[in-house]
Amino acid sequence: MTTNPIIDHLAGDFYTQNFAKTAGEGNLILNLGPQHPSTHGVLRVVVELDGEYIMRAEPVLGYLHRMHEKMAEVKTAAQFIPNMGRVDYGHALGWNWAFVGAAEKVGGIEVPERAEYIRVITCELNRIASHLLWWGAYLLDLGAFTPIMYAFDDREKILDILQIPTGSRLTYSYFRIGGVAQDLNAECIRLIQEFIPWFRARLPMYKDLVSDNIILRKRIENIGVIEQETCRRFGATGPVARGSGINYDVRRAVPYSVYPKLDFEVPTSDLKCARGRYDVRMIEMEQSLRIIEQALEMMPEGEILIKGAPKPSWKVPKGEGYFAVEGARGKIGAYVVSDGGKNIYRTKLRAPGFCNLSLFAEVSKGTILADAVAILGSLDLIIPEIDR
Amino acid sequence: MEALFTGLGALYLAKCDAAKTGQAFQAFLPAGSLVRAAERLLKANYYIEDICAVDCVEGFIVVYHFDHFEAPGRLTLRVLAPHAAPTLPSIANIFDGAEWHERETRDFHGVVFEGNPNLIPLLIDPEMADCFPLRKEEKARAKAKDMLEAGEVIYCHPSFTLMTPDAPAEVKESSGDQPATA
Amino acid sequence: MSAIPAELLHIIIGLVAVAASVGLIGLVMVWVERKVAGHIQRRPGPYEVGPSGVLQPLCDALKLVGKQLFMPTGADPILFWLAPVLAFLPVLLLFLPLPVGDGLMALDVNLGLLLILAFSGLAVLSVLLAGWASNNKYGLLGAARAVAQSVAYEIPLLLSVLAVSFVAGSLDLAQVVKGQGTWPWNWNIMTQPLAFIIYFVSALGETNRAPFDLPEAESELTAGFHTEYSGMGFGMFFLAEYANMVVVCSVATALFLGGWHGPVLPGPLWFVLKVSALMLLMVFARWTYPRVRFDQLLVINWKWLLPLAVANLLLTAFFVKLAQFA
Repeated sequence: MTTNPIIDHLAGDFYTQNFAKTAGEGNLILNLGPQHPSTHGVLRVVVELDGEYIMRAEPVLGYLHRMHEKMAEVKTAAQFIPNMGRVDYGHALGWNWAFVGAAEKVGGIEVPERAEYIRVITCELNRIASHLLWWGAYLLDLGAFTPIMYAFDDREKILDILQIPTGSRLTYSYFRIGGVAQDLNAECIRLIQEFIPWFRARLPMYKDLVSDNIILRKRIENIGVIEQETCRRFGATGPVARGSGINYDVRRAVPYSVYPKLDFEVPTSDLKCARGRYDVRMIEMEQSLRIIEQALEMMPEGEILIKGAPKPSWKVPKGEGYFAVEGARGKIGAYVVSDGGKNIYRTKLRAPGFCNLSLFAEVSKGTILADAVAILGSLDLIIPEIDR
Repeated sequence: MEALFTGLGALYLAKCDAAKTGQAFQAFLPAGSLVRAAERLLKANYYIEDICAVDCVEGFIVVYHFDHFEAPGRLTLRVLAPHAAPTLPSIANIFDGAEWHERETRDFHGVVFEGNPNLIPLLIDPEMADCFPLRKEEKARAKAKDMLEAGEVIYCHPSFTLMTPDAPAEVKESSGDQPATA
Repeated sequence: MSAIPAELLHIIIGLVAVAASVGLIGLVMVWVERKVAGHIQRRPGPYEVGPSGVLQPLCDALKLVGKQLFMPTGADPILFWLAPVLAFLPVLLLFLPLPVGDGLMALDVNLGLLLILAFSGLAVLSVLLAGWASNNKYGLLGAARAVAQSVAYEIPLLLSVLAVSFVAGSLDLAQVVKGQGTWPWNWNIMTQPLAFIIYFVSALGETNRAPFDLPEAESELTAGFHTEYSGMGFGMFFLAEYANMVVVCSVATALFLGGWHGPVLPGPLWFVLKVSALMLLMVFARWTYPRVRFDQLLVINWKWLLPLAVANLLLTAFFVKLAQFA
């Protein structure tokens, strides 16, 4: 620290200075973000550049940290569900499910079958919407301005569908402990049944115009190679792990809800690069359509909330429980520890993006700056989920 | 799974009810065995899921969750860090992803992980790095055995009283007996 | 008042016409680009101001003119303000030798092509000055990329243009156009298709248009070399980019598409139509394709365009010589 405030200011803040301590001679230290046109959220990455090559990279988090885990300790279980809609706006229903599932495990509460099917249908629709957002934003990062418009056109339909039962367009707090809040009415089911063939017809267009485009292929093939060993050491799950050939999907590995009854494929790719992760997500959208179709057919009539479902003031009984679901970005986990008191003693939210982003520093070493953007996009990051 | 912990001086090993708690196996370890246990888990192809701390009467119980891609079954490691000087060895040199989880645990609870390559604040602003938001007041803390699942005890060290001291634990001869450091 | 030489009058009128048309082109192109972008993206584009949004560019221009001009701390004031001026002024020169109709050009010089190619090099200097003088790391990176790109893509551009002038036997644009006929099969594109493709791709690279718009890569470098410019400074870069596009398309029309030749309609109208078609092609390319990565951009140039252009030139030279003997 010098006595000149202007020079101090130019030296950067705490994180830049900490990063600069071990910087090489003549290398440029650049901050990507936190305000950044790439639509991941408020992510800051400090990079050390030698020309265009990244020598070191360090993501700096906390710009969106709202301390959800503390909020869980001052709210009752039912009061915390809206928080789960805000943790990850991309796949909010997945987070709903993780928390509600953990509370149900500890409380020993069953969920009626119709509610299980509704959960599956809405969660898979949300997964498609999340992947569409990822797809559009990824291509925008790479310089193609048009696909995001088409993706949002599709998303608009899904958001209209999900608005009917949940009442929200983006940050859903639809699940309840013991079921869901509202039933899917005839209008909603009709819209879903119209959406499925319409979207199925759009996917080949995306493949021809975008996925098979030579410029895109050159941008994402052999970029950001992640080995399986790396996934293990960092705890990467979801399309990041499946894009490296690891056949792990929570819906198959630790089956929950009615997924064992549904027939769908879990796509994996041996390419290990950004192209592999891209392909995995594109196929997942198609598979989600299959799941929704089957679930709609098999859904029985019945209750959507268990009789005697907990009231908002319900206290979680003593015990601990961990429940994981397969989110769009990976394995979403909620670990609930309760001492029987009014509020939950400890809630740990396991965000898939957190573990996925932590491997960025290692994967981006030695790559070009332009590739760093391609790698970040292929990890499908939503920063509110990482920061919580 | 218990074979992974032979010779580490484990204080408490138990099978859990996976349907109820989501965890298949739990192990309480002394702080000194943490790194070796992590090495064994990495060799056995486990991946790190998360690390969190629970503030109990007895101290900070740092919970490590591991899972397996090919043979799913959540493994929980628990280590006790005393309130007065909460320090644990870091496993970030083995499971690189643990670096961030440990930084977060330091931010929230103040548990210091020795050996972590970059133990600066991750989520909390550096200017208020020592606010430790998830630490509880003395009167609000609960006992570990009131919350954590005892499970089907496989082994319990005679001086380990954190879980259920009055449960009929099968005191097996563990190879490489080490005094308890709970 | 002494008699003003006819030459001087000719040039002055030409310059005024060029200046006016560059301004007009800027306005029209902004509207066209945004409308076409909108429709490709399944949305209407500007539609509020004026019928179908035609007054939108005017409003944008007024907004830009009215903005505060400020300079970041530590920036070099002379170079910072010189850069946009240097980007824009030489472009006016480039319009002079373009043959809009039979005998209709601002400056009838027998080295028209050389004039255009020489002065288009000044654009590189302006980009470098802008990035350097901004005192901004993003700007610097963007400028470095832009210079490498512009310098690289000039060469195949030059070589493909040379091939056409070999065939025409002159560097005078008017001569090249006269050598072509009324109908498409008489145009130079039939004899020099490869040169046309190389020229068009190089032109995209020279004018920093997508898919080669890395120097302005929004998602990576927050606008690259013109990050720190707002208001009219940015407006000048913007105008210069569109003007450059028009020049490059006009040269392509003159060289490959028969210039002002065409049945029935008057010459200048055909010229405008052909230039517009090429401009539309450039706009389409921008909104359809993702961006090429920087090293791939240079690979395309040095490993593909350059050898092809050289081969084309040698082949052309061979056949021209052969025709002389026959």
